Amino acid sequence: MSTTTLAPTRRSFDYKTFLANNGALVGLVVLCIALVIATPDFLTGQNLLNIGIQVSTVAVLAFGMTFVIVAGGIDLSVGAVAALSAMASGWFFVSAGMPGWVALLGGLAVGLLAGIVNGAANAYGKLPSFIATLAMLSVARGLTLVISDGRPIKTAAEVSFLGGNIGPVPMPIVILVLAALVASFILNRTVLGRSMYAVGGNAEAARLSGLPVKRIIVTVFALAGVFAALAGLLLAGRLDSAQPQAAAGYELDAIAAVVIGGASLSGGLGKISGTFIGALVLVVIRNGLNLLNVSSFWQQVVIGLVIALAVGADVLRRKTRNS
Amino acid sequence: MKSSSFRRIAAVTATAALILAGTTACGRGSGDEASGPKVVLAISTLNNPFFVELRDGAQAAADEAGVDLYIVDAQNDSATQANQLATAAAGSTKAVIVNPVDSDAASASVNTLTAANIPVIGVDRTVNDADLTSLVASDNVAGGKQAADELAAAMGEKGTVISLQGVSGTSASRDRGAGFDEGIAAYPDITVVAEQTANFDRASALDVTTNLLQANPGVTGIFAENDEMALGAIQALGARAGAEVSVVGFDGTADGLTAISDGSLYATVAQQPAELGKLAIELAVKAINGDDVEATVPVKVVSVTKTNVGDFSK
Amino acid sequence: MTVNPLITLQNVTKTFGQVTVIQDVTVSVYPGQVQVLLGENGAGKSTLIKMVAGVYQPDGGQILVDGTVTTLPTTRAAEEHGIATIHQELNLVATMSVAENVMLGRMPTKLGMVDRKELRRQARAALALIGLEIDVDTPVGELGIARQQLVEIAKALSINARVLILDEPTAALTRHETQALFAVMADLRRRGVGMLFISHHLDEIAEVGDTVTVIRDGHFIAEVPASTPEDELVKLMVGRSIEDQFPRRADETPALTEVLTVENLTSAGHFDDISFTVRAGEVLGIAGLVGAGRTELIRAIAGADRYDTGSVAVRGTPLPKGDIQAAIRAGIGHVPEDRKGQGLVLDASVNDNLGYATLASSAKLGLADFTGQRRRAEAVAAKLRIRMHTIDQPIRSLSGGNQQKAVFGRWIIAASTVLLLDEPTRGVDVGAKVEIYELMNSITAAGGAIVMVSSELPEILGMSDRILVMRDGRLAGELSAADATQDTVMTLAARDVAAQR
Repeated sequence: MSTTTLAPTRRSFDYKTFLANNGALVGLVVLCIALVIATPDFLTGQNLLNIGIQVSTVAVLAFGMTFVIVAGGIDLSVGAVAALSAMASGWFFVSAGMPGWVALLGGLAVGLLAGIVNGAANAYGKLPSFIATLAMLSVARGLTLVISDGRPIKTAAEVSFLGGNIGPVPMPIVILVLAALVASFILNRTVLGRSMYAVGGNAEAARLSGLPVKRIIVTVFALAGVFAALAGLLLAGRLDSAQPQAAAGYELDAIAAVVIGGASLSGGLGKISGTFIGALVLVVIRNGLNLLNVSSFWQQVVIGLVIALAVGADVLRRKTRNS
Repeated sequence: MKSSSFRRIAAVTATAALILAGTTACGRGSGDEASGPKVVLAISTLNNPFFVELRDGAQAAADEAGVDLYIVDAQNDSATQANQLATAAAGSTKAVIVNPVDSDAASASVNTLTAANIPVIGVDRTVNDADLTSLVASDNVAGGKQAADELAAAMGEKGTVISLQGVSGTSASRDRGAGFDEGIAAYPDITVVAEQTANFDRASALDVTTNLLQANPGVTGIFAENDEMALGAIQALGARAGAEVSVVGFDGTADGLTAISDGSLYATVAQQPAELGKLAIELAVKAINGDDVEATVPVKVVSVTKTNVGDFSK
Repeated sequence: MTVNPLITLQNVTKTFGQVTVIQDVTVSVYPGQVQVLLGENGAGKSTLIKMVAGVYQPDGGQILVDGTVTTLPTTRAAEEHGIATIHQELNLVATMSVAENVMLGRMPTKLGMVDRKELRRQARAALALIGLEIDVDTPVGELGIARQQLVEIAKALSINARVLILDEPTAALTRHETQALFAVMADLRRRGVGMLFISHHLDEIAEVGDTVTVIRDGHFIAEVPASTPEDELVKLMVGRSIEDQFPRRADETPALTEVLTVENLTSAGHFDDISFTVRAGEVLGIAGLVGAGRTELIRAIAGADRYDTGSVAVRGTPLPKGDIQAAIRAGIGHVPEDRKGQGLVLDASVNDNLGYATLASSAKLGLADFTGQRRRAEAVAAKLRIRMHTIDQPIRSLSGGNQQKAVFGRWIIAASTVLLLDEPTRGVDVGAKVEIYELMNSITAAGGAIVMVSSELPEILGMSDRILVMRDGRLAGELSAADATQDTVMTLAARDVAAQR
């Protein structure tokens, strides 16, 4: 009775913990059930495929964001970097006359470079990631306009292929699945991924344990940059053109997806599967509201409420953890 | 300790340099010939080809008239624009051409300018509660009606229609939507089955149209409040665009005209952004010279279809 | 005793879910007396305090204030009854001035604006209550921890606190600062303030306390006078007697191999020209006052901070400056001073925390070695007797002693042979302390070397084979275990400081 009673036995079902850990999944299921009841158009093969395509951009962006948030940072530049990468790729192809596949790789390289600059400014320049990436947001968006002069640029066939179909399967879904597998592999299986959790949980403890914290941070932002570039190319591929204002504001969707998915903005927590569910929640809401022909004014209200609920779950999660 | 603070300074400097490089490269467009009168063109955004063409038209006219044109871009932020207009009022500006981000928000800034005897020409959008010297604008309501007529003609005056709206609450979206609704109401056999926003954005329009087609597979017409959204809708329709479903856009951008040529876009209501810019400069020069200017100068909106697209393509 | 208690927790019980944290405990605070609450980490002390402070409500039993049954549903209600708590984590806003902090929430205003003059006057009056003389315009963050604590006490008294709860107030204080705090407490006692005092330093109990309530595993064990011998208190607290508080077993015939060689190490403003060696099988203690540069020295050797000149070598191989990874490869393991802030990733599992130092070295092709890691972690957790439910539980939920053992375990997995320990038993209760000392014995017995910085003189004296004393960043002297006493160490550590006063 004496020592054993003190042990926090959690054998019985603890709904609070379950909800806090799986809030996004529960929310998604509830949302889907509600939509199935509300409209016959929701649960059709084509619509589910549409959702898969529509979630691809924001999910790929959010995978990159997951690395950053797990490592305790934030990346406000992913939307702008996505646009810049796609635009640069279009420029390489159209104006510089490079082969399509070079233009595609060039777009990814631009994302990588932007990410490295973000990471270096944060790790070596000691700029808070919020500030460093806010600066990058402005720079990248500005450079996008400089390159494009405010006009869309046609993309290479190789880039358009990313937005097309491979047999009956839409390429965006293929890329989404591959990106999820790669991101999940990095986060769960590699030294780098495990280090991200340590750095986000307590950077000083990680450093004193011999983890190369600064290099990890640079790598994390570089990865976010590459994922952003991939998302940008995907979006351009779907539109057959790189748009100067593409992915504007997507960084907020990406952050929302990560947080809805159960990551903590204070770092050290987060999963790719959660982020994927978070992105699905956002896209399913938009899809459903379109199907129901809900006024655009109300759509914004609904999406805002969902984000507030998600952050509420984050607070609840921390409460249950600390008590 | 020292070396780390050095590295910090280096990184900050590098970032600052990057930002500077970005901003200076953006601020192109002002002519070097300091001889001519200084005119400020305060534009709502250059994120959109329409305004880029408007700027190009203004720049060309300014070069011709020997006007020293300063272009400032508010990036769709009313507060930024207010600051830019305040800066213009303080300088040696002879006239201001304003393309307001928001028709209400710009009134105070414009009144400050007119109080300082600087002529203010509105372009594309009006400024409410302000004494504009002149306004050059396309008639968006009339344009919306024209679009409805074109779409009805394409559909044989019957069927169901989706309407893609612009950014909620903007005057362009309000006027075009109102014109379209009014126009389409004249055709009793046409029903508008869905009205959803796609924020004037091609990517959004692609997703929204895909979703709407799911709920309304039988639609035969789509009206989009700008060409960007029309192109997104065409992307969503794939091969059905032009064949089974007629799409009508608005603006007459280069990409829109190309789509008309290849048949995927049935029609667009062309504004003439370059013409807007050009007229605005001409009015500004007149006002500077003390000549009388008309209070409103309407610029024709033209329905563009495959038959007359050749006249508009450059 | 005819004096009535200010507050009594009578037969209180508290459960969280199915876990009973406090079972039928009674404790009273009398005016002008210091009631000491004694128990190991996790015994339920903080739960009791939170009941007094209005944070938790008892599930059974009752709270009496001035003999009347009272409920304290909020901290506000507790404050209205004159109960104030000085938490370990101080409730001060570092960027605001002392005056603003003291008057926080009841700023004097004039015409809707803060009346600065009146603010300063009232704040000075509050500080005068405990004889604290500091500029009330100083930002609190610029004060040392001891003065911050006094500011918080002044704040509590200025809202007429009659019952003051002091939760481990001396944990972060130097001996000198502790004495100043005790002087303030003695003064408060004369003025009839009742205090509930918590401390892990048994020697402080007799010095400052009147009565001791001992709790163990949430149960009331005994109430004894503060003059009770320390051994007896330990026995009550732990439930068994601890044979030997400092079970150092040095090698009879010390090896001659020098494992760690530090030569002329200097870091401007921190430490100056430090040279020493540590042999295999040896525990070298580093004593000194807080601020003497001990932590900075240890961190420089571990590669955590850079230094200006000098050299560090392990088994003859020099280590590059400020390179933690190189130090780890050479066999150095660093147990930092602030376990929660620097040692552990609190939300990560015990398994992860044990594996950080070996994450990269055990990996193949950049892939983490999960099975191997788990095997190693389970073995070391069993060896160090880390008490936990599963190796996957967050390390946050472990007691301080078990957390500290996990930090040691990380270096044992890494096969470190030179351990640099900075306050290795801070916030660790008596039972776990002895386990950590035994661990140090086993490391030196296996040929390892240990450098231990500690502010607890008994620990330094009891566990070191040799003692270096630091003063103002310099080596003030070296003592063998046989020659060292509290007096000889303190004379070296404080000589100049004493002379300057």
